Amino acid sequence: MSNMIRKAGPFEIVNHWALAISFFALVLSGFGFLFHLEQMNALFGSFSRMRFIHNWAGVIFMVSLFLTMFTYLPVSLRLGSDDIGWILKAGGYLSKKAVVPPQDIINTGQKLYYLVFLLTGSAISASGLGIWFIAGVKKWVLISHLVHNISFDLLVTIIPLHIYLGTLANPGTFRIMVYGTVPLEWARKRHEKWVRRMGY
Amino acid sequence: MTRKALLISPEICIGCRGCQTACKEWNQLDGVKTSNAGSFENPPDLIPALYNRIRYVEVPTEAEGQRWLFVSQRCMHCGDAGCMKICPAPGALYKTPEGAVAFSKEKCIGCKLCVTACPFDVPRYDKDGKISKCHLCSDRISQGLPPACAKVCPTGAIRYGERDDLIASAKKTGHEKVYGEMDLTGLGALYAFKDAPRLYGMNENPAIPESVIFWNNILKPLSYLGLGGAVALALIHYVAFGPKKNEEVTRDE
Amino acid sequence: MTNNWIDIKNSDVILVMGANPAENHPVSMKWILKAKERGAKLVVVDPRFTRTAAKADIYAAMRSGTDIAFLGGMIKYIIDHHLFFKEYVVDYTNAAFLVNPEFQCADELNGLFSGYDAKTRKYDKKTWAFQMDEKGLPKKDPSLKDPHCVFQLLKRQYSRYTRDKVSQITGTPKNKLLEVYKIFASTGRKDRAGTELYAMGWTQHTIGTQNIKAMSIIQLLLGNIGIAGGGINALRGESNVQGSTDHGLLFNSLPGYLPVANASWVDLKTYIDKNTPKTKDPKSVNWWSNRGKYITSYLKALYGNSATKENDFGYSWLPKLDEGMNCSWLMLFDQMFNGQFEGFFAWGQNPACSGSNAGKVRKALSKLKWMVNVNLFDNETGSFWRGPGENPSDIQTEVFLLPACSSIEKEGSITNSSRLAQWRYKAIDPVGESMPDAEIMNELYFRVKSLYRRKGGMFRDPIFNLTWDYGEKDTKGKVKKVDIHNVAKEINGYYLEDVIDNKANPPKLLGKKGELCATFVHLQDNGATSCGNWIFSQSYTQKDGKIINMMARRKKTDATGLGLFPEWAWCWPVNRRIIYNRASVDPLGRPWDPQRAVIKWNAVKLDPNTKKPGVWEGDVPDGPAPPMADEKGKYPFIMRADGMGAIFGPGLAEGPFPEHYEALECPLPANLMSGQRINPTMKIFHGKTKDSVEDVFASCDIRFPYVATTYRISEHWQTGVLTRHQSWQLEMAPQQFVEISEELARTKGLKNGDKVSVTSIRGKIWAVAIVTSRLRPFKIANSVVHQIGLPWCFGWQFPADGSGGDSSNLLTPTIGDANTMIPETKAFMVNIEKA
Ligand code: HEM
Ligand code: SF4
Ligand code: SF4
Ligand code: SF4
Repeated sequence: MSNMIRKAGPFEIVNHWALAISFFALVLSGFGFLFHLEQMNALFGSFSRMRFIHNWAGVIFMVSLFLTMFTYLPVSLRLGSDDIGWILKAGGYLSKKAVVPPQDIINTGQKLYYLVFLLTGSAISASGLGIWFIAGVKKWVLISHLVHNISFDLLVTIIPLHIYLGTLANPGTFRIMVYGTVPLEWARKRHEKWVRRMGY
Repeated sequence: MTRKALLISPEICIGCRGCQTACKEWNQLDGVKTSNAGSFENPPDLIPALYNRIRYVEVPTEAEGQRWLFVSQRCMHCGDAGCMKICPAPGALYKTPEGAVAFSKEKCIGCKLCVTACPFDVPRYDKDGKISKCHLCSDRISQGLPPACAKVCPTGAIRYGERDDLIASAKKTGHEKVYGEMDLTGLGALYAFKDAPRLYGMNENPAIPESVIFWNNILKPLSYLGLGGAVALALIHYVAFGPKKNEEVTRDE
Repeated sequence: MTNNWIDIKNSDVILVMGANPAENHPVSMKWILKAKERGAKLVVVDPRFTRTAAKADIYAAMRSGTDIAFLGGMIKYIIDHHLFFKEYVVDYTNAAFLVNPEFQCADELNGLFSGYDAKTRKYDKKTWAFQMDEKGLPKKDPSLKDPHCVFQLLKRQYSRYTRDKVSQITGTPKNKLLEVYKIFASTGRKDRAGTELYAMGWTQHTIGTQNIKAMSIIQLLLGNIGIAGGGINALRGESNVQGSTDHGLLFNSLPGYLPVANASWVDLKTYIDKNTPKTKDPKSVNWWSNRGKYITSYLKALYGNSATKENDFGYSWLPKLDEGMNCSWLMLFDQMFNGQFEGFFAWGQNPACSGSNAGKVRKALSKLKWMVNVNLFDNETGSFWRGPGENPSDIQTEVFLLPACSSIEKEGSITNSSRLAQWRYKAIDPVGESMPDAEIMNELYFRVKSLYRRKGGMFRDPIFNLTWDYGEKDTKGKVKKVDIHNVAKEINGYYLEDVIDNKANPPKLLGKKGELCATFVHLQDNGATSCGNWIFSQSYTQKDGKIINMMARRKKTDATGLGLFPEWAWCWPVNRRIIYNRASVDPLGRPWDPQRAVIKWNAVKLDPNTKKPGVWEGDVPDGPAPPMADEKGKYPFIMRADGMGAIFGPGLAEGPFPEHYEALECPLPANLMSGQRINPTMKIFHGKTKDSVEDVFASCDIRFPYVATTYRISEHWQTGVLTRHQSWQLEMAPQQFVEISEELARTKGLKNGDKVSVTSIRGKIWAVAIVTSRLRPFKIANSVVHQIGLPWCFGWQFPADGSGGDSSNLLTPTIGDANTMIPETKAFMVNIEKA
């Protein structure tokens, strides 16, 4: 396995899992709250427990989201002409022939996804804290409630796509979340700029 | 079962507060240490240990002379109840067959969202953070007994019965408009006001906050739609284009 | 009450004056509001705008203590405008009677009536009498024109009570006076009924009895006594206070309002002679002519077989008062204060808070050797020795607490203001060591008796001869457990022998030996019957051998529709729901108002007893005699010797007509009505020593410029002993407060919710200021008089942190009504300052 390249370190892996797992817990419980899904009792025990888990999963999610910024934020903000090219080619997802401009450690779509995710994630976190802690200040609770749910709608839309793209749509990607490494060849094809920068 | 309700008639309320005590007695709510702040009214607002209180309103008018109004403040048992709408915990708030909006402390998760959606600022939260409010004595009415406050009221200022009958009887005694007849698809606590409800400290047009309605009607379904849409999109893409197998990826040499 | 609670609903005009039913008798408001639903008008006259006033059609503010001026003005208005019920006044009252020509009214004698002796502060009532004809009957002028007839004297007495004058005294605006007079006087019509509801707001004045007398005059003038929706109705402040007075609670009355014997009435015969009014008028029932039967049966109930004809039925064993002796509450505490008592049973009371001039009361308690406090809870009385300002080591009084149980922990009857005796059942067992009062008395009785037995002692006969057959006895002769039904039966009375009506032809057996009496009509003065309280005879009776507890009846039938509910429990006398009801019909027995017929004479129907035609229908009539116009007919006011409603009433101390006097402490230097500022006959207490600070008064004193009154609130019960331990009640009304007008607050720089101190010359308390437009300053003569109000339900002991404050009775004076000695707590002078 000599021609492997490390794309994510142990820290990133752990953090991603934390984010993903907490997120799953949050979405499941979130749906449970929204639609009074008593089936969730099988999973969480009771709604009180579910609330507890939701809120603390929320805290994990928040921390973990914050930590992602060290990893993804700088690169996500580095947008250039290649990114425009990427977008014009729809990331190559709409045609097997399409060739996209060389990409950084994450591609344009991932960058944009990250930015949107960071924003909505922050919004849902902040508003979650709002609902949790400022009960009593009616107006702000109502605003938080609204923001929480708008961001929820967004998140439940983008995350499945993110997951799809990270698994089925791109075989070989999911291992990053497990080993952190990818074949050099695989990386070169998708993250050429990065690979080059890394000196390969 | 037909809908039951309370008819509150401030004109014959004498402000004796029998109802305030009877409610606390039936519900075994703790007595709370208060102080006199220069009024008969006490405690000054609903609290977790107080489901029903009498408001004392002094209206000095030069022309008509002094007036002193008494009115019971409590949960209105809304037909369309904001508290139930926003509540994330199934069974925490529920409608009884009689139409009461009752609650279960076991099921309540203590999120305190309900008070924000209540047009009447009713729910309060006990020391465990659980909801506390008038439940129309759901435990009494289910046994065919009148609510404690209605039972104790010496003048009939709080009456319990068939909602339609109560409305009819209020109209018969000259109350053209019965407060709560139509609002929020009808309240379960009706008020026979001759004066403007405002005078009694009541909201003229009670409504659930718009954001809650928007959330309920749009955002909630949208979440399923968003999730479903995303999954469907992924599926379609998978079928139409298939995965990006490594062999198939070409580099811009 | 002449009428009853439910009957208020039949009224057209309800005057509430001297009462606050919404706060102190909430259930009565049900009936008041029912009446209003029918179109009746509620009129409230009160210094404060109360919760009752909040429901009023007309509210008139009036300075505390000026009721007689207010009502006198109404009497004048009724007479001036001929609004009285002429037939009723002439036929049923003493308005037409001619009075001794030497009698002089207060308008002739500058506020006094003829016969006053300033030294003794008493009247010689010689001139307060009627002129008699040769048959010994009062002379009458049915035209009401004779200058000496009661009606003309009445007119003369109140000629000074003009609206201007009344308004100057009461502070009530003239147009309000007129409004009230007009509406109430409108009930002088046959088809209209007016009622009056009063309570402590009328009795707790130095002229308390006369307040009520003034209203009785109005009700008689308007023909409102005896009819449905009428009457003059005392709202009793406790569920069973009627029962307690019925059963001889007061120092001067035995059960059934028989007077307490006086040492100068040496034997039973003298007692009966002195207390049996006489009349020569065959049309007068003169019910008290039965006095001998009632006292004898009472003695038989007390002493059983030991009471014999030979020993005057044990009359000598009855406790007696010295002649002229007054043992009213104020007097007892004055004596206690002066060290004349060794011991004291405070039974079901809290004088350290309820007593007028409570500071004096608290000091008086410290002069005792011992005190037994019988109560549900310890209270400010039992714990007086550790109260504010007391040094326990200085106080030698030994205090015992006997815990009594509450009404729901025992069985028995209570009698409410409707004179309705209702049986109640035990709901739970007594808590802890507490016992029903009867059991406590049983213990005491047995112990006192055995002490006598062991150690001997003076005057043992009354103790040893007392009947005490209230249950099974143990070997020592003590009743193991009091069976309260036995007490009720003793009160009702028994036939001790076969009682036969010898006047009937053939003689008829009225009652069988050993059975319970059927009615007080059967009581005998020869020892053949016993009866613990004649007015309660029939309450626990026997029919065809079957024993019936009438008080436990619960049938809800109401044939008249007037709310008489004759088969719900039982009311005295003989289940008559509206007394003086013979005055509700004309002399032919036809109801004045057929729509509200209490009784009516049916001349054709056979009387089931006599089998002769002619019978009363409706309520139990005041005696079965035919209507007044019949040759065998009787007058309606059967308790009065002359059978007539007394407009002229020589019985009271201050005069036969009420006259306005100021309260002992008032803001005015003089009475605007006459030269007599205060009640000329009331007893004035003087401190024993020169520097005594207890019995001091401050009238028209710039240090105490504001008129104060005290009252109860719905949230607390009396001194609050029951309710201050109840956190739900305390939550609603946690602290002593004082209600003051916005104007006074401005003058004094006070804000709503400020802590203030209220002082009278006798004491000082703190209170939270409730600044409200419900109190307004009065314009009295040409000055402004401020009135404040204080509840008296708080005390230092509970809440335990002292946050409740102390009793407002620390401020009230030691002075009482001249007839009843009820203290004047409803009008006195104070100052108020920011604390
Ligand atoms: C810092 C993060 C978060 C916090 C503190 C938080 C807190 C809360 C709180 C307090 C509630 C109200 C109900 C309850 O107390 O359980 C709530 C409801 C909800 N949360 Fe969160 N949450 C967070 C993140 C998320 C995330 C990431 C999601 C989904 C992706 C989510 C979805 C929902 C949903 C759907 C509801 C139900 C909405 C409702 O019924 O109003 N939350 N959250
Ligand atoms: S009044 Fe408030 S708490 Fe009561 S049912 Fe309506 S929304 Fe719910
Ligand atoms: S209905 Fe019951 S719970 Fe509601 S206020 Fe009345 S007594 Fe209290
Ligand atoms: S018991 Fe009836 S009259 Fe009294 S305060 Fe309550 S509602 Fe009013």
